[in-house]
Amino acid sequence: MAASGVASPTRTEVLQLYRSLLRVARQFCDYNIREYTKRRTIDAFRDNKNLTDPSQLSAAFSDGKAQLEVAKRQAVVYSLYAPKVKSIMDIRPS
Amino acid sequence: MALKLLRQTLIKTKQTTLLRRFSTAAAVASPTEYEDTEGIIMKGVKIAGRPLYLDMQATSPVDPRVLDSMLPFYLSRYGNPHSRTHLYGWESETAVETARAQVAELIGASPREIVFTSGATESNNISVKGVMRFYKDKKRHVITTQTEHKCVLDSCRHLQQEGFEVTYLPVGSDGLIDLDKLRKEIRPDTGLVSVMAVNNEIGVIQPVEEIGRICKEFNVPFHTDAAQALGKIKVDVNKWNVSLMSLSGHKIYGPKGVGALYMRRRPRIRVEPQMNGGGQERGIRSGTVPTPLVVGMGAACELAMKEMEYDERRIKGLQERLLNGIREKIDGVVVNGSMERRYVGNLNLSFAYVEGESLLMGLKDVAVSSGSACTSASLEPSYVLRALGVDEDMAHTSIRFGIGRFTTEEEIDRAVDLTVKQVEKLREMSPLYEMVKEGIDIKQIQWAQH
Repeated sequence: MAASGVASPTRTEVLQLYRSLLRVARQFCDYNIREYTKRRTIDAFRDNKNLTDPSQLSAAFSDGKAQLEVAKRQAVVYSLYAPKVKSIMDIRPS
Repeated sequence: MALKLLRQTLIKTKQTTLLRRFSTAAAVASPTEYEDTEGIIMKGVKIAGRPLYLDMQATSPVDPRVLDSMLPFYLSRYGNPHSRTHLYGWESETAVETARAQVAELIGASPREIVFTSGATESNNISVKGVMRFYKDKKRHVITTQTEHKCVLDSCRHLQQEGFEVTYLPVGSDGLIDLDKLRKEIRPDTGLVSVMAVNNEIGVIQPVEEIGRICKEFNVPFHTDAAQALGKIKVDVNKWNVSLMSLSGHKIYGPKGVGALYMRRRPRIRVEPQMNGGGQERGIRSGTVPTPLVVGMGAACELAMKEMEYDERRIKGLQERLLNGIREKIDGVVVNGSMERRYVGNLNLSFAYVEGESLLMGLKDVAVSSGSACTSASLEPSYVLRALGVDEDMAHTSIRFGIGRFTTEEEIDRAVDLTVKQVEKLREMSPLYEMVKEGIDIKQIQWAQH
């Protein structure tokens, strides 16, 4: 994806993307995928916290948006085939 | 009021369903025979929920990003990649070639050196039997190890029946082969050296770079089964000097039923094909290439390249958490295989004075395996542990914990609690353990014969 000519994302846009990813993570009915999506989002945003180069920023932002689309679709697919019984980690409090 | 009741009855599940009430999309898939809302009853065991999965060496869950890349090829892009005359064929072929490039990039090879197969077992068969049968006039000797995967050992046994000679190198108690022994066994008519990169049962990483160097010195083709290594440790076919490498899709969060074989072009290694037919995959493996599976494997490889460092850091922390958690609470825990040269996601532990089957039966909330999935049908202890020189009783009580990308800290803590509880319970009931606590050395006892 060519990043030239695309403006760097603003702080609000980045925060919106972050919140959307975490929101979609909550929608997964599979315990492992849900936790992974949450954790990976937090770690990825933390790792890219100090990026300053605008082309890198736009690349990371578009990558994040693409991942958000994938996650939204997959949340629907997983819910269509959700097993009736949840993972044991979701049932009993440890 | 009535409307609220109607709404409640129509919406079966709570916030996990994203389909609105009058949506024309299909309803949630119907439950299977062994599941109901209270739990699962299978094989006489009742558990409240799906067990937590710690068996990543047997197989791994498909990553949602991989599934996302595969689905279009089941829905609308269903063409046969070998159809040359229409869009369906062209788009499938493009997808297969993209996937080929993704796999090649992960191992440092060129896309022209990758052949897609149905899995690492098929790739191993093609490598071992195909190479030896092609060069059968000049080369009659194969060198492999005692801890190889069953498919390699079985292929070698087949070759022995055809009249070839096979040397099975022994391993030390840490699971690694002795390089001097390898050097001594190489003969002028050695046609292949086959050593797996990462063992599926104990997780040890063989010294593949040194083996590659020895093979280059003696000009012997080197085959490695990298099914467990791909995407987990850095794999480079040029640094390792491999001529053939078997890869598997379902160990790296990809679909089951697909794998690949790397075949070096310079210097060219040639094999006799095991699947004859229309000459697909350069004649090495005929048969329609399964586009969705291959696309999935490609996507999994690309993901693995991006996530390898992050995953490894995390899994290393989880492994330490697991091992330290167990060791803090109970003693008599032995790690099978070298601790230093080990893939971090594989932890094979033996618990002294505990019977293996009962331990596994008690751990029904944790999905782990003892030995490997392909040998769990037979009752004898794993041949890999026997090759390590582990005593029979310790070999029977071994458990393999597999940690992966999706494992969480809470799962590890829960697994530690359950394991410790079960081991303590079994030891409590064990008269042997009582004797050990009193200081009696079990090995010195003269058992009276009745």
